[in-house]
Amino acid sequence: MKWRRRFAIIGTGQTRHGRQRDDVSQPELVREAARRALEDAELHVGDIEAVVLANMELFEGRAFPELWCAEGAAALGKPVLKIATGGTSGTSGAIAGALQVASGVFETVLVVGFEKQSEGQTAAGMALTDPLWDRHVASAAIGNFALSISQYLHARGVTPEQAARVVVKARRNAANNPYAHLQQPELTVEQVLASRVLAWPIHLLEMCPTSDGACAVVYASEAVARRRCPRPAWVRAVATRHDQPYIGDLDDRLVKMRTLRSAAREAYREAGIREPLRELDVAEIYEPVSYAELAWYEALDLCPDGEAARLIEDGVTAMDGELPVNPSGGVLSTNPVGASGVIRTAEAAIQVQGKGGKRQVGDVHLALVTGYGVYAWSDVLILSSRPG
Amino acid sequence: MGHELLRVPLTLNLTWRYAAGRSFSRFFRTLREEGRILGRRCPGCRRVYLPPRPLCGDCFRRLEEWVPVGPQGTLRAFTVVHFPFLDPTTGRPRPVPFGMGLVQLDGADTTVNHYLDETDLGRLRIGLRVEAVFREPREGTMGDIRGFRVFVS
Repeated sequence: MKWRRRFAIIGTGQTRHGRQRDDVSQPELVREAARRALEDAELHVGDIEAVVLANMELFEGRAFPELWCAEGAAALGKPVLKIATGGTSGTSGAIAGALQVASGVFETVLVVGFEKQSEGQTAAGMALTDPLWDRHVASAAIGNFALSISQYLHARGVTPEQAARVVVKARRNAANNPYAHLQQPELTVEQVLASRVLAWPIHLLEMCPTSDGACAVVYASEAVARRRCPRPAWVRAVATRHDQPYIGDLDDRLVKMRTLRSAAREAYREAGIREPLRELDVAEIYEPVSYAELAWYEALDLCPDGEAARLIEDGVTAMDGELPVNPSGGVLSTNPVGASGVIRTAEAAIQVQGKGGKRQVGDVHLALVTGYGVYAWSDVLILSSRPG
Repeated sequence: MGHELLRVPLTLNLTWRYAAGRSFSRFFRTLREEGRILGRRCPGCRRVYLPPRPLCGDCFRRLEEWVPVGPQGTLRAFTVVHFPFLDPTTGRPRPVPFGMGLVQLDGADTTVNHYLDETDLGRLRIGLRVEAVFREPREGTMGDIRGFRVFVS
C-alpha cells in the first residue's frame, strides 16, 4: 500500500465501559469519548477536518447513527464516513481514518466507535443475517465459535485449562484499566471452568461481555503531529481482509484463518518486522472468546502452529512476559462492539505514548492491533514510537 | 423531581420479503419438489459450493454446473448448545440443549451449518457419518432440511 506521507495518532479518549450506561444516551456516550480524545490531543472541534464513525446500528435498532451522533462527534459541517462491519467495525473505522490522512486528503481525522448493547437486541441483530440460508440455522457468535473450536481442539489438542488461562489473564489485566467493564483480579482457572456451559466447550466466563461504551482516536499528518504532540503513535502499517460469505465456506476456520495470516504478514512486511514475538513490545488483539486468542497467536506468527498453549502456560503473553497481549483486558473484558476495535487501536497508542498508568508495559516502540468480525474478517494495524 | 434515569421501551413486529434469485430459487424448487440437495461447481477451482450461488468469490467466475450432493455426509465440526438462542425463524428462544454441526455433504467441498438431533457429546466426533432429515411436506425454504442425524448404514 502506497502512502503519500507519514501520520500518527496524537490523542485518544474513551468512556467508562459498563453493562448498562443509563446515565447517558447514545449521542452523549459518543460525546464523552470524542471530548476526551480532543482534550488528550489538545485540539478544538474546529481543528478536526473529517470524522469516521463505527457502529453496528442494527444492534441498537437506531438508524442513521451519523445523524444523531454527529454533533457529539465534532462532525457538523464535515465529511462523515460510517463503518459497520460487525466486530471489525472499530478497526476498519480506524483504518479508514488512517487512510484519509495517509492519502493527504485531510490533516486531522477523528474516529469514534460506539455501541450501547444494553439498549437493543444484539442477538436479533446477529440473527438478521442472510435470510435465504444462514438465518434458519443461526446460533449467534457463541454457537459459531463453538463449532470452530471443536475443529481447533481436534487439530491442536489444547486443554480447557489452557483456554481458561487466557480469560484469567484478561480479567486480571482489566483490573489495572480504569475504563474496563469486567475487572476480576481474583479470577481463577477453576472458577472459569466451573461457570455454566453456553455451548460446548465454551463456558460463560470464556465469552466477551456485552458492554456500553465509546472510544475515539485523533489522527494527524506528520506536520500537525510534530507541532502538537511530544510522543505521537506513528502508524506504520494497516491491512484488512474479508472472506467468503458462509461459515461452511471457511475450511477449518480458526485453525487456518487465512485472512488474519495474510493481513498480519502484509503489515509485518510494511513495518519491517521479521520476528513478531521478539520485535513487538505489546499487542492489543480482538479475542471474543478464550480459544480465539490461542488461535490468533498462531495466525499472527507469534509461535509455530500448535504451540499457542505454551505461550499462555509459560506467561510469554502475560504483563511481565516477552510480549504482553491485551494489558487493557481485551475484548474478553470489554465489548461495546463498534467501539471494540477503536479501543484496541487507542490502547496500543496509549502504550506507545507511555500513558498506560497501571497497565503500561514499559517502553513501547512497536505495538500490534487486530480486529476480528463476523466469521473471518480481519484487520491489522501496527503503531510505533518511530515514524519509520 | 428526583434523579431517576428512565428507559423508553419500543416493540416492533415487522415482515420482510427477500428475493431468492435464480440460483437459490432452483435450489429451493428442487428441494421442495424432488427432495434433493444441489450444489454448484466452480469451473475454475472445481470447488462444489453449498449453498449454491451464482459466483465463486475466490475465482470470481460464474458457477454454471449443478451437482447433486448428499443426503449423507461427514461431520466436520460440532457443539451442543445450552444457551437458549433467539431462533431467527420464530423470534423465540430455541429449546435447549440442541446439537449443531458443520456437515460436509457427499460431493460438496463446503460444509453446511445445521442442527444435529444428537446431544450426547460421547457420540459426537469429527468424521461421524450423518444424513439429512427432511421436513414433510416440504415448502421450498431452507427449513425443508430440518437437520442431520447419525447415519446407520
